[in-house]
Amino acid sequence: MSLTVALSKGKLLGGSESLFRRAGLPFPDDPGRRLVVALDGLRFLFVKDMDVPTYVEYGVADCGIAGRDVLLETGSDVYEPLDLGFGRCRLVVARPRGLRGEARSSTLRVATKYPKVAGAHFLERGISVEVVRLAGSVELAPGLGLSDCIVDVVETGRTLEENGLEQVEEVAASSARLIVNRASYHARREEVGRLVDTLGKARS
Amino acid sequence: MNGASHRLVQVPPGVQCFVGAEARRRRRIEEAVVSVFEGWDYEEIIPPLFDYADVFATPGLAARTYSFVGRDGSLLALRPDFTSLLAKIAAGRLAHVAPPIRLYYSGEVLRYEPPKAGRQSELFQMGLEHLGGDSRAADAEILAIAGECLERLGIGGWVLALGHVGAFHGLVRALGLDATTADLLGQRMEAKDGEGVRAVLAGAKASGPAADALVRLSGLAGDRASLEDAARALECCPDAARAVAELREVADALAAAGLGDRVAIDLGEVRGLDYYTGLVFRVYARGLGFEVGGGGRYDTLLARFGRPMPAVGFMLGLDRVALLLERQQAPSADEGASAEAIANGGLGASLKQARARRAAGARVRFGGEAR
Repeated sequence: MSLTVALSKGKLLGGSESLFRRAGLPFPDDPGRRLVVALDGLRFLFVKDMDVPTYVEYGVADCGIAGRDVLLETGSDVYEPLDLGFGRCRLVVARPRGLRGEARSSTLRVATKYPKVAGAHFLERGISVEVVRLAGSVELAPGLGLSDCIVDVVETGRTLEENGLEQVEEVAASSARLIVNRASYHARREEVGRLVDTLGKARS
Repeated sequence: MNGASHRLVQVPPGVQCFVGAEARRRRRIEEAVVSVFEGWDYEEIIPPLFDYADVFATPGLAARTYSFVGRDGSLLALRPDFTSLLAKIAAGRLAHVAPPIRLYYSGEVLRYEPPKAGRQSELFQMGLEHLGGDSRAADAEILAIAGECLERLGIGGWVLALGHVGAFHGLVRALGLDATTADLLGQRMEAKDGEGVRAVLAGAKASGPAADALVRLSGLAGDRASLEDAARALECCPDAARAVAELREVADALAAAGLGDRVAIDLGEVRGLDYYTGLVFRVYARGLGFEVGGGGRYDTLLARFGRPMPAVGFMLGLDRVALLLERQQAPSADEGASAEAIANGGLGASLKQARARRAAGARVRFGGEAR
Protein backbone atom coordinates (compact mmCIF):
# COMPACT_ATOMS: atom_id res chain seq x y z
CA MET A 1 0.00 0.00 0.00
CA SER A 2 1.42 3.36 -0.99
CA LEU A 3 1.73 6.38 1.26
CA THR A 4 -0.90 9.08 0.85
CA VAL A 5 0.24 12.71 0.86
CA ALA A 6 -2.21 15.60 1.36
CA LEU A 7 -1.25 18.85 -0.38
CA SER A 8 -2.94 22.17 -0.71
CA LYS A 9 -3.78 23.66 -4.06
CA GLY A 10 -3.07 27.07 -2.60
CA LYS A 11 0.09 29.09 -2.13
CA LEU A 12 2.22 26.13 -0.96
CA LEU A 13 1.73 24.11 -4.16
CA GLY A 14 4.71 25.58 -6.06
CA GLY A 15 7.11 25.12 -3.13
CA SER A 16 5.85 21.58 -2.52
CA GLU A 17 6.39 20.66 -6.17
CA SER A 18 9.95 21.98 -6.32
CA LEU A 19 10.78 20.25 -3.01
CA PHE A 20 9.49 16.89 -4.28
CA ARG A 21 11.35 17.29 -7.59
CA ARG A 22 14.60 18.25 -5.83
CA ALA A 23 14.20 15.20 -3.62
CA GLY A 24 13.77 12.98 -6.70
CA LEU A 25 10.24 12.05 -5.63
CA PRO A 26 7.31 11.79 -8.03
CA PHE A 27 4.94 14.74 -8.32
CA PRO A 28 1.90 15.00 -10.61
CA ASP A 29 2.68 17.28 -13.59
CA ASP A 30 -0.67 18.95 -13.71
CA PRO A 31 -3.33 17.57 -11.42
CA GLY A 32 -5.92 19.69 -13.29
CA ARG A 33 -9.28 19.01 -11.76
CA ARG A 34 -8.27 15.63 -10.37
CA LEU A 35 -8.25 15.60 -6.58
CA VAL A 36 -6.59 12.20 -6.14
CA VAL A 37 -3.55 11.24 -8.22
CA ALA A 38 -1.58 8.00 -7.82
CA LEU A 39 1.98 8.17 -9.10
CA ASP A 40 4.97 5.83 -8.68
CA GLY A 41 4.15 4.53 -5.23
CA LEU A 42 2.69 7.72 -3.80
CA ARG A 43 -0.91 8.87 -3.72
CA PHE A 44 -1.58 12.61 -3.70
CA LEU A 45 -4.70 14.31 -2.36
CA PHE A 46 -5.29 17.92 -3.38
CA VAL A 47 -7.42 19.71 -0.80
CA LYS A 48 -7.97 23.19 0.66
CA ASP A 49 -5.05 24.44 2.75
CA MET A 50 -7.11 24.61 5.96
CA ASP A 51 -8.17 20.98 5.40
CA VAL A 52 -4.68 19.43 5.01
CA PRO A 53 -4.18 18.92 8.80
CA THR A 54 -7.64 17.34 9.10
CA TYR A 55 -6.94 14.71 6.43
CA VAL A 56 -3.65 13.88 8.15
CA GLU A 57 -5.05 13.91 11.71
CA TYR A 58 -7.77 11.41 10.78
CA GLY A 59 -5.25 9.20 8.97
CA VAL A 60 -6.91 9.53 5.55
CA ALA A 61 -3.51 10.85 4.48
CA ASP A 62 -0.30 9.56 6.09
CA CYS A 63 1.41 12.90 5.71
CA GLY A 64 0.95 16.33 4.23
CA ILE A 65 2.36 19.79 3.79
CA ALA A 66 0.72 22.59 5.74
CA GLY A 67 1.68 26.09 6.84
CA ARG A 68 2.39 26.67 10.52
CA ASP A 69 -0.31 29.37 10.38
CA VAL A 70 -2.88 26.74 9.40
CA LEU A 71 -1.65 24.30 12.08
CA LEU A 72 -1.96 27.00 14.74
CA GLU A 73 -5.54 27.66 13.66
CA THR A 74 -6.72 24.05 13.35
CA GLY A 75 -4.85 22.84 16.45
CA SER A 76 -4.63 19.41 14.84
CA ASP A 77 -2.96 16.59 16.73
CA VAL A 78 -0.30 15.64 14.17
CA TYR A 79 3.48 15.30 14.17
CA GLU A 80 5.46 18.16 12.58
CA PRO A 81 8.92 16.63 12.10
CA LEU A 82 10.24 19.03 9.43
CA ASP A 83 10.25 22.75 8.83
CA LEU A 84 10.44 22.71 5.03
CA GLY A 85 11.73 26.27 4.83
CA PHE A 86 9.47 27.61 2.08
CA GLY A 87 6.19 29.50 2.27
CA ARG A 88 7.63 31.84 4.87
CA CYS A 89 5.21 34.47 6.14
CA ARG A 90 4.13 36.11 9.38
CA LEU A 91 0.80 36.25 11.16
CA VAL A 92 0.38 39.85 12.29
CA VAL A 93 -2.06 42.27 13.84
CA ALA A 94 -2.56 45.26 11.54
CA ARG A 95 -4.71 48.35 11.78
CA PRO A 96 -5.29 51.57 9.80
CA ARG A 97 -2.16 53.74 9.59
CA GLY A 98 -1.91 56.58 12.07
CA LEU A 99 -4.28 55.13 14.64
CA ARG A 100 -1.58 53.92 16.99
CA GLY A 101 -2.09 55.00 20.59
CA GLU A 102 -5.54 56.40 20.03
CA ALA A 103 -8.32 55.53 22.43
CA ARG A 104 -10.61 52.77 21.24
CA SER A 105 -13.88 51.27 22.32
CA SER A 106 -13.68 48.77 25.17
CA THR A 107 -14.15 45.80 22.86
CA LEU A 108 -11.81 45.56 19.91
CA ARG A 109 -13.31 44.18 16.70
CA VAL A 110 -10.88 41.91 14.82
CA ALA A 111 -11.50 40.60 11.30
CA THR A 112 -9.57 37.44 10.39
CA LYS A 113 -9.40 34.09 8.64
CA TYR A 114 -7.78 32.79 11.84
CA PRO A 115 -10.44 33.21 14.54
CA LYS A 116 -8.82 30.79 17.03
CA VAL A 117 -5.32 32.28 16.72
CA ALA A 118 -6.67 35.84 16.93
CA GLY A 119 -8.91 35.05 19.90
CA ALA A 120 -6.10 33.36 21.83
CA HIS A 121 -3.63 36.15 21.03
CA PHE A 122 -5.82 38.90 22.52
CA LEU A 123 -7.02 36.72 25.39
CA GLU A 124 -3.40 36.25 26.50
CA ARG A 125 -3.02 40.03 26.58
CA GLY A 126 -6.23 40.53 28.53
CA ILE A 127 -7.86 42.48 25.68
CA SER A 128 -11.51 41.66 25.07
CA VAL A 129 -12.25 41.26 21.39
CA GLU A 130 -15.08 40.44 19.06
CA VAL A 131 -13.72 38.20 16.32
CA VAL A 132 -15.29 38.68 12.89
CA ARG A 133 -14.62 35.61 10.79
CA LEU A 134 -13.95 36.19 7.09
CA ALA A 135 -12.96 33.81 4.29
CA GLY A 136 -10.74 36.28 2.40
CA SER A 137 -9.91 39.91 1.49
CA VAL A 138 -9.50 40.57 5.19
CA GLU A 139 -7.49 43.77 4.49
CA LEU A 140 -10.69 45.51 3.40
CA ALA A 141 -12.44 45.14 6.75
CA PRO A 142 -11.05 48.11 8.74
CA GLY A 143 -11.37 50.57 5.86
CA LEU A 144 -15.01 49.67 5.40
CA GLY A 145 -15.81 49.87 9.10
CA LEU A 146 -16.30 46.14 9.64
CA SER A 147 -13.51 45.92 12.21
CA ASP A 148 -10.93 47.95 14.13
CA CYS A 149 -8.03 45.76 13.08
CA ILE A 150 -7.16 42.48 11.38
CA VAL A 151 -5.08 39.38 12.08
CA ASP A 152 -3.73 38.01 8.81
CA VAL A 153 -0.67 36.55 7.11
CA VAL A 154 1.77 38.86 5.38
CA GLU A 155 4.74 38.02 3.23
CA THR A 156 6.11 41.39 2.12
CA GLY A 157 3.61 43.79 3.68
CA ARG A 158 2.65 45.24 0.26
CA THR A 159 -1.03 44.30 0.55
CA LEU A 160 -1.24 45.91 3.98
CA GLU A 161 0.32 49.10 2.65
CA GLU A 162 -1.93 49.26 -0.39
CA ASN A 163 -4.95 49.03 1.87
CA GLY A 164 -3.82 51.75 4.25
CA LEU A 165 -2.85 49.35 7.05
CA GLU A 166 0.26 48.97 9.17
CA GLN A 167 1.55 46.12 11.27
CA VAL A 168 1.10 46.60 15.02
CA GLU A 169 2.62 43.35 16.25
CA GLU A 170 3.64 39.89 15.11
CA VAL A 171 1.54 36.98 16.36
CA ALA A 172 3.64 34.15 14.94
CA ALA A 173 6.09 33.32 12.17
CA SER A 174 5.04 30.66 9.71
CA SER A 175 6.54 28.38 7.09
CA ALA A 176 5.59 25.12 5.40
CA ARG A 177 5.80 22.02 7.61
CA LEU A 178 5.80 18.35 6.81
CA ILE A 179 3.09 16.85 8.98
CA VAL A 180 2.64 13.14 9.69
CA ASN A 181 -0.27 11.15 11.10
CA ARG A 182 0.58 9.75 14.55
CA ALA A 183 -0.43 6.18 13.77
CA SER A 184 1.26 6.13 10.36
CA TYR A 185 4.46 7.42 11.96
CA HIS A 186 4.65 4.29 14.12
CA ALA A 187 2.67 1.64 12.24
CA ARG A 188 4.32 2.49 8.85
CA ARG A 189 7.63 3.52 10.32
CA GLU A 190 9.91 2.47 7.46
CA GLU A 191 8.03 4.11 4.60
CA VAL A 192 7.29 7.28 6.57
CA GLY A 193 10.87 7.42 7.87
CA ARG A 194 12.24 7.20 4.32
CA LEU A 195 9.99 10.04 3.13
CA VAL A 196 10.93 12.25 6.11
CA ASP A 197 14.67 11.62 5.51
CA THR A 198 14.42 12.24 1.76
CA LEU A 199 12.50 15.49 2.18
CA GLY A 200 14.72 16.56 5.08
CA LYS A 201 17.82 16.31 2.87
CA ALA A 202 16.19 18.14 -0.05
CA ARG A 203 14.68 21.09 1.83
CA SER A 204 16.06 24.53 1.09
CA MET B 1 -38.03 21.48 13.34
CA ASN B 2 -38.28 23.33 16.64
CA GLY B 3 -35.93 22.68 19.54
CA ALA B 4 -38.22 20.52 21.64
CA SER B 5 -39.15 18.00 18.95
CA HIS B 6 -35.52 17.82 17.84
CA ARG B 7 -34.61 16.81 21.37
CA LEU B 8 -37.14 14.01 21.25
CA VAL B 9 -35.60 12.50 18.09
CA GLN B 10 -31.82 12.88 18.33
CA VAL B 11 -29.26 11.99 20.98
CA PRO B 12 -27.02 14.89 22.10
CA PRO B 13 -23.61 15.23 20.42
CA GLY B 14 -20.95 13.05 22.07
CA VAL B 15 -23.12 10.10 23.07
CA GLN B 16 -23.98 7.10 20.94
CA CYS B 17 -26.58 4.38 20.61
CA PHE B 18 -25.91 0.91 19.23
CA VAL B 19 -28.49 -1.58 18.00
CA GLY B 20 -28.44 -5.13 16.68
CA ALA B 21 -25.36 -6.26 14.75
CA GLU B 22 -23.32 -3.26 15.92
CA ALA B 23 -24.15 -3.92 19.57
CA ARG B 24 -23.34 -7.61 19.07
CA ARG B 25 -19.95 -6.80 17.57
CA ARG B 26 -19.13 -4.57 20.52
CA ARG B 27 -20.20 -7.25 22.99
CA ARG B 28 -17.93 -9.81 21.24
CA ILE B 29 -14.97 -7.45 21.40
CA GLU B 30 -15.59 -6.90 25.10
CA GLU B 31 -15.85 -10.64 25.74
CA ALA B 32 -12.59 -11.36 23.89
CA VAL B 33 -10.67 -8.69 25.80
CA VAL B 34 -12.12 -9.63 29.18
CA SER B 35 -11.21 -13.30 28.61
CA VAL B 36 -7.58 -12.24 28.09
CA PHE B 37 -7.64 -10.14 31.29
CA GLU B 38 -9.03 -13.08 33.25
CA GLY B 39 -6.48 -15.40 31.68
CA TRP B 40 -3.74 -13.30 33.33
CA ASP B 41 -5.49 -13.61 36.70
CA TYR B 42 -6.98 -10.12 36.94
CA GLU B 43 -10.10 -9.69 39.08
CA GLU B 44 -13.05 -7.74 37.77
CA ILE B 45 -14.05 -4.58 39.59
CA ILE B 46 -17.29 -2.71 38.92
CA PRO B 47 -16.71 0.75 40.32
CA PRO B 48 -19.42 3.37 40.88
CA LEU B 49 -20.64 5.52 38.00
CA PHE B 50 -20.08 8.72 39.97
CA ASP B 51 -17.98 9.66 42.96
CA TYR B 52 -16.91 12.79 44.83
CA ALA B 53 -15.38 15.23 42.36
CA ASP B 54 -12.21 15.46 44.51
CA VAL B 55 -11.25 11.93 43.40
CA PHE B 56 -10.76 13.19 39.83
CA ALA B 57 -9.31 16.59 40.70
CA THR B 58 -6.07 16.27 38.76
CA PRO B 59 -5.35 19.19 36.40
CA GLY B 60 -5.73 17.15 33.22
CA LEU B 61 -9.07 15.62 34.13
CA ALA B 62 -10.83 18.31 36.15
CA ALA B 63 -11.54 20.47 33.11
CA ARG B 64 -13.11 17.56 31.25
CA THR B 65 -15.29 16.26 34.07
CA TYR B 66 -19.08 16.41 34.18
CA SER B 67 -19.73 17.41 37.77
CA PHE B 68 -22.94 18.10 39.63
CA VAL B 69 -24.15 18.87 43.13
CA GLY B 70 -25.54 15.92 45.09
CA ARG B 71 -28.72 16.12 47.16
CA ASP B 72 -26.64 16.67 50.32
CA GLY B 73 -24.69 19.51 48.72
CA SER B 74 -21.49 17.58 47.99
CA LEU B 75 -19.81 18.05 44.62
CA LEU B 76 -20.00 14.83 42.59
CA ALA B 77 -18.59 13.86 39.19
CA LEU B 78 -19.46 11.25 36.59
CA ARG B 79 -16.34 9.08 36.36
CA PRO B 80 -14.04 10.57 33.68
CA ASP B 81 -11.42 7.90 34.27
CA PHE B 82 -11.16 4.48 35.88
CA THR B 83 -7.58 4.74 37.11
CA SER B 84 -8.18 7.38 39.82
CA LEU B 85 -11.28 5.54 40.95
CA LEU B 86 -9.48 2.20 41.19
CA ALA B 87 -6.55 3.81 43.03
CA LYS B 88 -8.99 5.15 45.60
CA ILE B 89 -10.68 1.76 45.98
CA ALA B 90 -7.34 -0.06 46.26
CA ALA B 91 -6.27 2.34 49.01
CA GLY B 92 -9.59 2.17 50.88
CA ARG B 93 -11.90 -0.78 50.41
CA LEU B 94 -9.01 -3.08 49.41
CA ALA B 95 -6.57 -1.75 52.03
CA HIS B 96 -6.32 -5.22 53.60
CA VAL B 97 -5.33 -6.90 50.30
CA ALA B 98 -1.58 -7.44 49.98
CA PRO B 99 0.04 -6.21 46.76
CA PRO B 100 0.36 -6.94 43.93
CA ILE B 101 -3.32 -6.24 43.26
CA ARG B 102 -4.55 -7.04 39.75
CA LEU B 103 -7.86 -5.48 38.74
CA TYR B 104 -9.70 -5.10 35.44
CA TYR B 105 -12.73 -3.08 34.43
CA SER B 106 -14.94 -2.68 31.39
CA GLY B 107 -17.38 0.19 31.14
CA GLU B 108 -18.06 3.79 30.20
CA VAL B 109 -16.30 6.92 31.31
CA LEU B 110 -17.69 10.36 30.61
CA ARG B 111 -15.54 13.27 29.57
CA TYR B 112 -16.31 16.53 28.01
CA GLU B 113 -14.60 16.25 24.57
CA PRO B 114 -15.40 18.00 21.33
CA PRO B 115 -16.81 15.05 19.32
CA LYS B 116 -14.43 13.79 16.64
CA ALA B 117 -13.85 10.41 15.00
CA GLY B 118 -13.36 7.83 17.73
CA ARG B 119 -13.52 10.53 20.39
CA GLN B 120 -16.87 10.81 22.11
CA SER B 121 -17.94 12.21 25.46
CA GLU B 122 -19.03 8.72 26.42
CA LEU B 123 -16.06 6.40 26.04
CA PHE B 124 -16.21 2.66 26.61
CA GLN B 125 -12.91 1.51 28.10
CA MET B 126 -11.64 -1.98 28.78
CA GLY B 127 -8.57 -1.88 30.95
CA LEU B 128 -6.60 -3.09 33.88
CA GLU B 129 -4.44 -1.84 36.70
CA HIS B 130 -1.49 -3.62 38.29
CA LEU B 131 -0.88 -2.14 41.74
CA GLY B 132 2.28 -2.83 43.73
CA GLY B 133 4.73 -5.64 43.07
CA ASP B 134 7.89 -5.49 40.99
CA SER B 135 7.64 -2.52 38.65
CA ARG B 136 9.61 -3.77 35.63
CA ALA B 137 7.87 -7.14 35.75
CA ALA B 138 4.49 -5.36 35.93
CA ASP B 139 5.38 -3.10 32.96
CA ALA B 140 6.35 -6.10 30.86
CA GLU B 141 3.26 -8.03 31.97
CA ILE B 142 0.72 -5.39 31.00
CA LEU B 143 2.39 -4.82 27.63
CA ALA B 144 2.25 -8.55 26.95
CA ILE B 145 -1.44 -8.55 27.92
CA ALA B 146 -2.11 -5.60 25.60
CA GLY B 147 -0.40 -7.56 22.81
CA GLU B 148 -2.45 -10.67 23.51
CA CYS B 149 -5.69 -8.66 23.38
CA LEU B 150 -4.77 -7.37 19.93
CA GLU B 151 -3.85 -10.87 18.75
CA ARG B 152 -7.08 -12.29 20.16
CA LEU B 153 -9.10 -9.60 18.38
CA GLY B 154 -7.43 -10.48 15.09
CA ILE B 155 -6.09 -6.95 14.58
CA GLY B 156 -3.31 -6.69 11.99
CA GLY B 157 -0.29 -4.38 11.78
CA TRP B 158 -0.28 -3.18 15.38
CA VAL B 159 2.60 -1.69 17.34
CA LEU B 160 3.17 -0.74 20.97
CA ALA B 161 4.87 2.66 20.92
CA LEU B 162 6.80 2.90 24.19
CA GLY B 163 8.03 6.06 25.85
CA HIS B 164 9.04 7.14 29.32
CA VAL B 165 8.08 10.51 30.76
CA GLY B 166 11.23 10.44 32.93
CA ALA B 167 13.42 11.33 29.94
CA PHE B 168 11.61 14.61 29.22
CA HIS B 169 10.95 15.53 32.85
CA GLY B 170 14.53 14.67 33.86
CA LEU B 171 15.94 17.05 31.25
CA VAL B 172 13.44 19.81 32.08
CA ARG B 173 14.39 19.51 35.76
CA ALA B 174 18.10 19.51 34.97
CA LEU B 175 17.62 22.81 33.11
CA GLY B 176 15.49 24.28 35.91
CA LEU B 177 12.82 25.45 33.45
CA ASP B 178 9.64 27.10 34.69
CA ALA B 179 6.22 25.50 34.23
CA THR B 180 5.15 27.71 31.31
CA THR B 181 8.31 26.93 29.35
CA ALA B 182 7.99 23.23 30.18
CA ASP B 183 4.42 23.31 28.91
CA LEU B 184 5.42 24.96 25.62
CA LEU B 185 8.31 22.49 25.28
CA GLY B 186 5.93 19.58 25.91
CA GLN B 187 3.66 20.77 23.11
CA ARG B 188 6.53 21.05 20.61
CA MET B 189 7.95 17.71 21.83
CA GLU B 190 4.61 16.00 21.22
CA ALA B 191 4.59 17.42 17.70
CA LYS B 192 8.12 16.01 17.15
CA ASP B 193 9.04 19.53 16.09
CA GLY B 194 12.79 19.62 16.82
CA GLU B 195 13.17 23.14 15.51
CA GLY B 196 10.25 24.26 17.65
CA VAL B 197 11.88 22.72 20.74
CA ARG B 198 15.10 24.55 19.90
CA ALA B 199 13.22 27.84 19.53
CA VAL B 200 11.45 27.46 22.91
CA LEU B 201 14.80 26.66 24.60
CA ALA B 202 16.46 29.65 22.94
CA GLY B 203 13.58 31.85 24.13
CA ALA B 204 14.14 30.60 27.70
CA LYS B 205 17.94 31.13 27.33
CA ALA B 206 18.51 27.45 28.11
CA SER B 207 21.63 25.88 26.63
CA GLY B 208 24.19 23.18 27.27
CA PRO B 209 24.14 19.40 27.00
CA ALA B 210 20.67 18.99 28.58
CA ALA B 211 19.17 21.50 26.11
CA ASP B 212 20.83 19.72 23.16
CA ALA B 213 19.51 16.43 24.53
CA LEU B 214 15.95 17.84 24.58
CA VAL B 215 16.23 18.76 20.90
CA ARG B 216 17.48 15.24 20.14
CA LEU B 217 14.70 13.72 22.26
CA SER B 218 12.00 15.01 19.88
CA GLY B 219 13.41 12.75 17.16
CA LEU B 220 14.19 9.70 19.31
CA ALA B 221 11.71 7.31 17.80
CA GLY B 222 12.02 4.13 15.80
CA ASP B 223 12.64 0.48 16.45
CA ARG B 224 14.31 -1.01 19.51
CA ALA B 225 17.74 -0.08 18.18
CA SER B 226 16.88 3.61 18.67
CA LEU B 227 17.29 3.01 22.41
CA GLU B 228 21.05 2.86 21.73
CA ASP B 229 20.94 6.36 20.24
CA ALA B 230 18.78 7.45 23.15
CA ALA B 231 21.24 6.14 25.74
CA ARG B 232 24.06 8.09 24.06
CA ALA B 233 22.02 11.26 23.56
CA LEU B 234 20.76 11.37 27.15
CA GLU B 235 23.85 10.23 29.10
CA CYS B 236 24.43 13.81 30.30
CA CYS B 237 21.38 13.63 32.57
CA PRO B 238 21.20 10.79 35.14
CA ASP B 239 17.39 10.90 35.48
CA ALA B 240 16.90 10.70 31.72
CA ALA B 241 19.50 7.95 31.40
CA ARG B 242 17.70 5.95 34.11
CA ALA B 243 14.45 6.31 32.17
CA VAL B 244 16.08 4.91 29.03
CA ALA B 245 17.58 2.02 31.02
CA GLU B 246 14.14 1.14 32.46
CA LEU B 247 12.59 1.28 29.02
CA ARG B 248 15.32 -0.92 27.60
CA GLU B 249 14.77 -3.57 30.27
CA VAL B 250 11.08 -3.75 29.35
CA ALA B 251 11.68 -3.64 25.58
CA ASP B 252 14.28 -6.43 25.85
CA ALA B 253 11.86 -8.58 27.83
CA LEU B 254 9.19 -8.12 25.17
CA ALA B 255 11.70 -9.02 22.45
CA ALA B 256 12.72 -12.15 24.34
CA ALA B 257 9.02 -13.08 24.51
CA GLY B 258 8.63 -12.81 20.74
CA LEU B 259 7.12 -9.33 20.61
CA GLY B 260 10.25 -7.54 19.35
CA ASP B 261 8.68 -6.68 15.97
CA ARG B 262 5.74 -5.10 17.72
CA VAL B 263 7.78 -2.68 19.81
CA ALA B 264 8.32 0.90 18.67
CA ILE B 265 10.25 3.43 20.71
CA ASP B 266 8.89 6.94 21.06
CA LEU B 267 10.73 8.95 23.70
CA GLY B 268 9.17 12.18 22.49
CA GLU B 269 5.79 10.93 23.69
CA VAL B 270 5.17 13.09 26.74
CA ARG B 271 1.46 13.68 26.59
CA GLY B 272 -1.22 11.78 28.37
CA LEU B 273 -2.65 12.14 31.81
CA ASP B 274 -0.50 14.15 34.17
CA TYR B 275 -0.30 11.40 36.79
CA TYR B 276 2.07 9.28 34.65
CA THR B 277 5.54 8.95 36.16
CA GLY B 278 7.40 6.34 34.09
CA LEU B 279 6.62 4.08 31.14
CA VAL B 280 3.92 5.46 28.83
CA PHE B 281 2.69 3.68 25.74
CA ARG B 282 0.18 3.89 22.95
CA VAL B 283 -1.22 1.18 20.74
CA TYR B 284 -1.37 2.02 17.03
CA ALA B 285 -2.55 -0.12 14.13
CA ARG B 286 -2.72 0.23 10.37
CA GLY B 287 -6.04 1.58 9.24
CA LEU B 288 -6.76 3.88 12.16
CA GLY B 289 -5.25 7.35 12.33
CA PHE B 290 -5.21 7.55 16.13
CA GLU B 291 -4.29 5.22 18.97
CA VAL B 292 -6.49 2.24 19.85
CA GLY B 293 -5.47 2.44 23.49
CA GLY B 294 -2.59 3.08 25.79
CA GLY B 295 -1.41 3.34 29.33
CA GLY B 296 1.42 4.03 31.66
CA ARG B 297 2.98 3.94 35.07
CA TYR B 298 1.67 6.18 37.86
CA ASP B 299 3.79 5.65 40.96
CA THR B 300 2.57 8.69 42.92
CA LEU B 301 -1.20 8.57 42.38
CA LEU B 302 -1.99 6.10 45.17
CA ALA B 303 -0.25 8.29 47.74
CA ARG B 304 -3.06 10.83 47.14
CA PHE B 305 -5.42 8.26 48.63
CA GLY B 306 -3.14 7.34 51.53
CA ARG B 307 -1.57 4.10 50.30
CA PRO B 308 1.70 4.92 48.49
CA MET B 309 2.36 2.14 46.01
CA PRO B 310 3.76 1.96 42.47
CA ALA B 311 1.22 1.07 39.80
CA VAL B 312 0.79 0.66 36.06
CA GLY B 313 -2.26 0.24 33.86
CA PHE B 314 -3.59 0.33 30.35
CA MET B 315 -6.85 0.40 28.49
CA LEU B 316 -8.27 -0.23 25.04
CA GLY B 317 -11.05 1.97 23.71
CA LEU B 318 -13.97 -0.18 22.59
CA ASP B 319 -15.15 2.44 20.10
CA ARG B 320 -11.75 2.54 18.47
CA VAL B 321 -11.30 -1.23 18.40
CA ALA B 322 -14.72 -1.52 16.74
CA LEU B 323 -13.83 1.16 14.17
CA LEU B 324 -10.49 -0.50 13.45
CA LEU B 325 -11.98 -3.98 13.00
CA GLU B 326 -14.65 -2.53 10.73
CA ARG B 327 -11.87 -1.09 8.52
CA GLN B 328 -9.52 -4.07 8.66
CA GLN B 329 -11.97 -6.94 8.31
CA ALA B 330 -14.59 -7.80 5.72
CA PRO B 331 -18.06 -7.82 7.24
CA SER B 332 -18.89 -11.36 8.29
CA ALA B 333 -22.31 -12.93 8.04
CA ASP B 334 -22.10 -14.01 11.67
CA GLU B 335 -25.64 -13.27 12.63
CA GLY B 336 -26.12 -16.69 14.20
CA ALA B 337 -29.03 -19.08 14.01
CA SER B 338 -32.38 -17.66 13.03
CA ALA B 339 -35.19 -17.93 15.52
CA GLU B 340 -37.83 -20.65 15.53
CA ALA B 341 -41.38 -19.40 15.18
CA ILE B 342 -43.70 -20.73 17.83
CA ALA B 343 -47.03 -21.57 16.21
CA ASN B 344 -49.86 -19.67 17.75
CA GLY B 345 -52.20 -22.46 18.86
CA GLY B 346 -53.77 -20.74 21.81
CA LEU B 347 -51.76 -18.59 24.20
CA GLY B 348 -51.26 -21.22 26.92
CA ALA B 349 -50.21 -23.98 24.52
CA SER B 350 -47.83 -21.73 22.60
CA LEU B 351 -46.23 -20.45 25.78
CA LYS B 352 -45.76 -24.02 26.98
CA GLN B 353 -44.15 -24.96 23.66
CA ALA B 354 -41.91 -21.89 23.72
CA ARG B 355 -40.71 -22.70 27.24
CA ALA B 356 -39.97 -26.29 26.21
CA ARG B 357 -37.98 -25.15 23.19
CA ARG B 358 -36.12 -22.59 25.33
CA ALA B 359 -35.25 -25.31 27.85
CA ALA B 360 -33.75 -27.23 24.90
CA GLY B 361 -31.63 -24.18 24.09
CA ALA B 362 -33.46 -23.02 20.97
CA ARG B 363 -33.77 -19.37 19.97
CA VAL B 364 -37.50 -18.73 19.74
CA ARG B 365 -39.67 -15.98 18.41
CA PHE B 366 -42.90 -16.03 20.29
CA GLY B 367 -46.23 -15.31 18.70
CA GLY B 368 -44.79 -14.41 15.31
CA GLU B 369 -43.10 -15.71 12.22
CA ALA B 370 -39.54 -16.99 11.83
CA ARG B 371 -37.07 -14.33 10.68
